[in-house]
Amino acid sequence: MYKESAFNGFKKGLFTLWKLSKIVVPVYFFVTFLSYTPLLNSISNFFEPAMKILGLPGEAAVPLVLGNFINLYAGIGAMASLSLSAKQATILAIMLSFSHSLLLESVVVKKTGVSLALIVLTRITLAVLSGIIFNLIL
Amino acid sequence: MDFMAYLKDSTMGSLNSVFSMAKIIIPLMIAMEILKDAEILEKISKRLKPISKLFDISNESVFPLLIGMVFGLVYGAGIIIESVEEENLGKKDLYIVMIFLVACHAIFEDTFIFAAVGANLWLLFITRLIVALIVAYFSSKAIEGVSKDIQKYG
Repeated sequence: MYKESAFNGFKKGLFTLWKLSKIVVPVYFFVTFLSYTPLLNSISNFFEPAMKILGLPGEAAVPLVLGNFINLYAGIGAMASLSLSAKQATILAIMLSFSHSLLLESVVVKKTGVSLALIVLTRITLAVLSGIIFNLIL
Repeated sequence: MDFMAYLKDSTMGSLNSVFSMAKIIIPLMIAMEILKDAEILEKISKRLKPISKLFDISNESVFPLLIGMVFGLVYGAGIIIESVEEENLGKKDLYIVMIFLVACHAIFEDTFIFAAVGANLWLLFITRLIVALIVAYFSSKAIEGVSKDIQKYG
């Protein structure tokens, strides 16, 4: 009965996977490249104090920045290329799921007529607060 | 820098990630497409009157809220813009639905993909849902307070 739906879903799954791979794979190559140079270490040291509050290593700043400025998939690609503990991956995932693709999604949000500043502020606040809280309770 | 080691690390690692995502995304998309075509969300949203009561929004707002939560912000926004144009959604309804949705959208897709890169699936799922409920509830109370003040003091 839902054969056609299932087939369409399969096609959509492949399409989503393609869309995702186009971003995840280059980001993975990029971040791994950084890790082969002293650059990732410098980035890590620079962000270490701020990331400590969130229970994350300094290099976790890379997926946070990429996830918020590019999109969620870029953040996920960067996450995959770092070696994170289960706790760190969970905190990062929660933070990114509240606040990501800020540039692109803001355009969509604005079209509905809701105040943009309110939405962006809510998302970033949620991300930071949830990071701090989950660092304490996990 | 050991270039061959870099190439091997990146290629194997990224292919591995894509593969573990494929195992999740393809079955999920099949399930979601069936969900959409069976119009199950329409049926569920009619039974979710407690939600509209909790947020003090119209019953018609529950459907766009549910759509955005399951299928994502871009698809959800399409339905929301439609509802606003058809005047099914008031200003307060719109704000509450959008506040809920920015905290929690595409809940299955995003959560499952995060699980593929090592996050705890249930914790992520439940946190997003509960936080969205709390934020939307207090926003509703705040909007109510402001509109009462406006009525009182003009």
